[in-house]
Amino acid sequence: MNKTRRIETTVELVRILVAIGIAYLIALIILYAISDDPVFIIKQFVLGPLSSSRRMGSIINLAIPFTFTGLCFCFMYAVNKFNLAGEGIFMFSGCIVTLTSIYLGKSGFPPVIVIPLLLVVGAFTGFVISLIPAYLDAKLNANIVVVSLMLNSILVFLSIWILKYLMRDPSIGSLGSLPIPESVKFASIFGKFKIQAGIFIAIIAVIVVAIIFYKTVFGYKMRVVGSNPNFAKASGINMMVTIVLAQLIGGSLAGIGGACEILGNYDRFKWVASTQHGFDGLMVAVLARRNPILVPITSLLLAYIRIGADVVNSKGDIPIEFITVIQGIVILLVAAEEFMGGFKKRLIYKAAKDDLKSDKEMVVQEILADDENKIEARKESME
Amino acid sequence: MPMYTLDWFANFGFSVLRLSTPLIFAALAAVISRKAGMLNMALEGMMLTSALAGVILSGFTGSVWIGLIGAIIVGVLSGAIIGFSNLTGKTDLYLTCIAFNLAATGGTVFVMYLLTGEKSTTSAAIRAFSVPSITIPLIDKIPLIGKMISGHNLLTYLAFLSIYMVWFFLYKTRLGLRLRAVGENPKAASSVGINVTKIGYISFLISGILCGLGGAFMSMGWVSFFMKNMTNGRGYIGLSAMNIAAGNPVGSALAAIFFGFSDAFATMIKGRGGDFPTEFIEMIPYVATIAALVVMNIIRMGQKRKIEQGVKQK
Amino acid sequence: MAQEVLRMDNITKIYDNGFVANKNITFWLNKGEILALVGENGAGKTTLMKVLFGLESPQSGDVYINGEHVKIENTLDAIDKGIGMVHQHFMLLPSLTVAENVALGIEPMKKGLFDFNKAVKMTQEVADKYRFNIDPLSKVEDLSVGQMQKVEIMKVLIRGAKIIIMDEPTAVLTPQETDELFEQLLLLKEGGHSIIFISHKLEEVKRICSRVTVLRHGYCLGSYDLENMNESDISRLMVGRDVVLKIDKEDPKPEEVVVKIKNLVKINETGKKVIDGISLDIRKGEVVGIAGVEGNGQSELSDVLCGMDTFSSGEVRINNQDIVGKTVHEIRQMGLAYIPEDRMRHGCAADLSIKDNIISDRFFLPEYCKGLFMKHKYIDQLVDQYIKDFEIACDDKNQPVRMLSGGNIQKVVVAREFTSGSNFILANQPTRGIDVGAAEMIRKTIVKKSRTEGTATLLISADLNEVLECSDRLLVMRKGKIVAAFPKANEVSEDELGEYMLGIKTMTAKEMENVL
Repeated sequence: MNKTRRIETTVELVRILVAIGIAYLIALIILYAISDDPVFIIKQFVLGPLSSSRRMGSIINLAIPFTFTGLCFCFMYAVNKFNLAGEGIFMFSGCIVTLTSIYLGKSGFPPVIVIPLLLVVGAFTGFVISLIPAYLDAKLNANIVVVSLMLNSILVFLSIWILKYLMRDPSIGSLGSLPIPESVKFASIFGKFKIQAGIFIAIIAVIVVAIIFYKTVFGYKMRVVGSNPNFAKASGINMMVTIVLAQLIGGSLAGIGGACEILGNYDRFKWVASTQHGFDGLMVAVLARRNPILVPITSLLLAYIRIGADVVNSKGDIPIEFITVIQGIVILLVAAEEFMGGFKKRLIYKAAKDDLKSDKEMVVQEILADDENKIEARKESME
Repeated sequence: MPMYTLDWFANFGFSVLRLSTPLIFAALAAVISRKAGMLNMALEGMMLTSALAGVILSGFTGSVWIGLIGAIIVGVLSGAIIGFSNLTGKTDLYLTCIAFNLAATGGTVFVMYLLTGEKSTTSAAIRAFSVPSITIPLIDKIPLIGKMISGHNLLTYLAFLSIYMVWFFLYKTRLGLRLRAVGENPKAASSVGINVTKIGYISFLISGILCGLGGAFMSMGWVSFFMKNMTNGRGYIGLSAMNIAAGNPVGSALAAIFFGFSDAFATMIKGRGGDFPTEFIEMIPYVATIAALVVMNIIRMGQKRKIEQGVKQK
Repeated sequence: MAQEVLRMDNITKIYDNGFVANKNITFWLNKGEILALVGENGAGKTTLMKVLFGLESPQSGDVYINGEHVKIENTLDAIDKGIGMVHQHFMLLPSLTVAENVALGIEPMKKGLFDFNKAVKMTQEVADKYRFNIDPLSKVEDLSVGQMQKVEIMKVLIRGAKIIIMDEPTAVLTPQETDELFEQLLLLKEGGHSIIFISHKLEEVKRICSRVTVLRHGYCLGSYDLENMNESDISRLMVGRDVVLKIDKEDPKPEEVVVKIKNLVKINETGKKVIDGISLDIRKGEVVGIAGVEGNGQSELSDVLCGMDTFSSGEVRINNQDIVGKTVHEIRQMGLAYIPEDRMRHGCAADLSIKDNIISDRFFLPEYCKGLFMKHKYIDQLVDQYIKDFEIACDDKNQPVRMLSGGNIQKVVVAREFTSGSNFILANQPTRGIDVGAAEMIRKTIVKKSRTEGTATLLISADLNEVLECSDRLLVMRKGKIVAAFPKANEVSEDELGEYMLGIKTMTAKEMENVL
């Protein structure tokens, strides 16, 4: 059976690569089909993101929020809950953090205190919000997807309301908050790459999450609960606490992500619609096969494609939205068990047939003869 | 408009029925999937693609009926895609639906842009068509009720007719019996030669028809253009309606009407103006959905507990 | 020369996880015979029959019916060719009526709609023709297990099946119901039907079959006429050695009460009393067996005792602690070990490793973790030891459980439950569907633990052999009540047990007074 295990792991890896390859190919075909100057556009899409240090920095900056929401969905996924609140949390946390920073900025506390405090505020926002769908699901069995999506819509309106009535800057024409104090904004590092300092927080988050997943008791509990909740219950694992807590940690990570995004990349809060970072995180987690260690890699991949789409969008006639279609296709391909399932099965059947041939000594006559010997031997020993 | 007059009530009732229409279609689509044993969360995306298809096809052909049929066909195609991914590709249904909705949100904008160069609405670029409204003779003469139930869009009447049709389909036809059998015990169904995968596809396709009608109502009845993300969660609200009634077609439709009521209520308050922030009014349908789910589940659990403990307190 | 109605040639079936269930099996069936298909659990009997019925597609092999080569790709093909199967786990829809269940798939139509009245008529006709006493209008969920099986047989007959596969039909029946079934089968045989009868119970095979085909480890060991074979010949072919079903055990020396159940009542969601006033003590050092037709409250009793489900009234004390309102975790801490009925649902997490599965009830103990972190090194050593002790056949401790055979998965379950240090073992169907070797090991360990360690055991099983063999005291459950209690299990006959299980006889409270 060892062979089967090896085949499964190999096919899994190949599958993901092929899925991404196919999706990328589809993206190229779409670009080719709809563009007036396909060669130029495709070149821009593929090489554009890597063409300047500024753009490469943008890839990394974009991968940072993806990493946070990706980790968030790793937790939701680990306990098998499709809690999609990460989407709303990201935006709302950005809003709350902005609001707090504006007030704290005036207070005169040093940034060393204020910045961690703002991150805590972000995390706490995520914590509290993810509690709603998590609790309603665990206690009342209310469909978590529906509740979290409704909640996301509510959070969008709530953010806009806060923006309009609590922190609007009347001096600018468009709808935007008062400026975030310079002192709390993350520094830009690595010179011309202009990467925001939030990257360090993201790296720490990945490490901490990996430890939680693979080294701690809580990680073990999540594994058992996510893999078979009935078994977890029969083993005496407190399911409700594990499931809810996992979602709260996930929500907090999305909250920190929102905080980092605002403090790292913005001068003021001006989101008036959902940012899609949550759903991007879902894709990151699916691609990473729920493995937090792979989240930064898949985040970078998604960010690369996104920046490519951005470049194309600014250079030509291609709307950036086509990327979400590609994203949907990737999720479907990676999650489809049957995608390359035939290939996997053929490998497994072949391995099994080889085994069948190799245990030639097991042919029927020999089995029977073997039995006779054993029985004789036993009889003798009994006498 | 002065409040609480007969006219006001008639108008409000009219608006409730109008806003319930897409929700009823979505709820019935959810019922069909649920009876086949599946939770179809892609209603949102299915309605959205149909809504766009209706506008485009009617605009380009100049016929509202071709648009309507096109919307239904696109709804069915969406159902086929989801069926293919879930039943043939064995993708987790939740993920399939989430991915489909994601692709539909972006994809509709993408297609709209390719065809019209617009990114938010087709209202300026494509000629508007609406499915006609119907005045019911005699009934429209009745005070209050006449104004409330006459003069609606054809699709609104079709929505109410669909409640009966879905019930009839599920409980009176052979296909309905087989569909329920698959939903209850797929292994048993397949052991008597029923093709479970085929029934699964059929349920998604019927879901697709209903979503197609719902989408068509959004873009060719409620308004006469397509707008980015115009379904605005109605697919999910329809799903909750089904959930609340545990898959019963009539109950699901009633729940959908309740959500239509909360929608109409929000619109009415917004129309009145005043100081109250519109953001909170906009939240009403979503809050109502969560609240209804919560209340219904509390009631259900309470009943269960009562039955189980029934004999204890004597 | 008997006429051959069915031949399966060189069938090889490999499952997606790489398990080879059938290895070049050749198999035939004559007209008007009842053929026994025997073999251990996991020998490939059910797989072979699923291939025949179109539920599984084989990698290679051919099927001939009446000498004609046929392709069976799905159940519809099989039904068309006159093959019918009565499944071990009934393929019924509980919320529908008998008529709807029987007619499903071949529904009569009137004006394009399902004609319910016609379905009722058709069902009644079949019932009359084959002398089944069943009301087509009753709902399947209200039927007894024996009646459900009759509905299954009616489903097969109404489709005109000439070849009938019976997959362990007697496993869920009482001896009396079995007799009734056999009469029916003989009737069908006379009517020209050919029957494939799958069973473990060799005396039943001897009773109604004329020929036996033996499978082992996916191979076919040949077909034999039963005239010149006795039961031990067959069993030797099945397992390759003489099976000793007797367990030697000394009389128990029951000491203090470990588990005390008093007037336990459980009402389920539908308002039905599934446990109806059970009182019972289980003492240190004894095995108490509960026999009964499945679905008479045994599952509910085990769910309540281990804390998976709540109960309506009464009292349960384990080691003198009340379990009311306690979680599974707390009850396990009181001294419970639990071998669940359905190992894939409650006994293991299929995708997790053997290691993760073995520590699921104890990972929080100080030996296994330090603060927030697991002590992986220590756990690895321990798990390796358990794999050795319980002879779990696997690659290593990191292999996902789903890749193991049924018997080895159950060994993982018992490796956990038998080493938990508990003094009360709740074993619900501990050997269902596993090979004889593993079953023997588990039964022996249960008895040994009660004798040497003084464990109190509650053994719930539908396998009469098992309860008769392992138990000290033996109880019978019916309709949520204890209807019989015997002080010594080895003095009870299967027939006597059957009468209580069916409700033909019931003991009074007074008769049972001293045994509970």
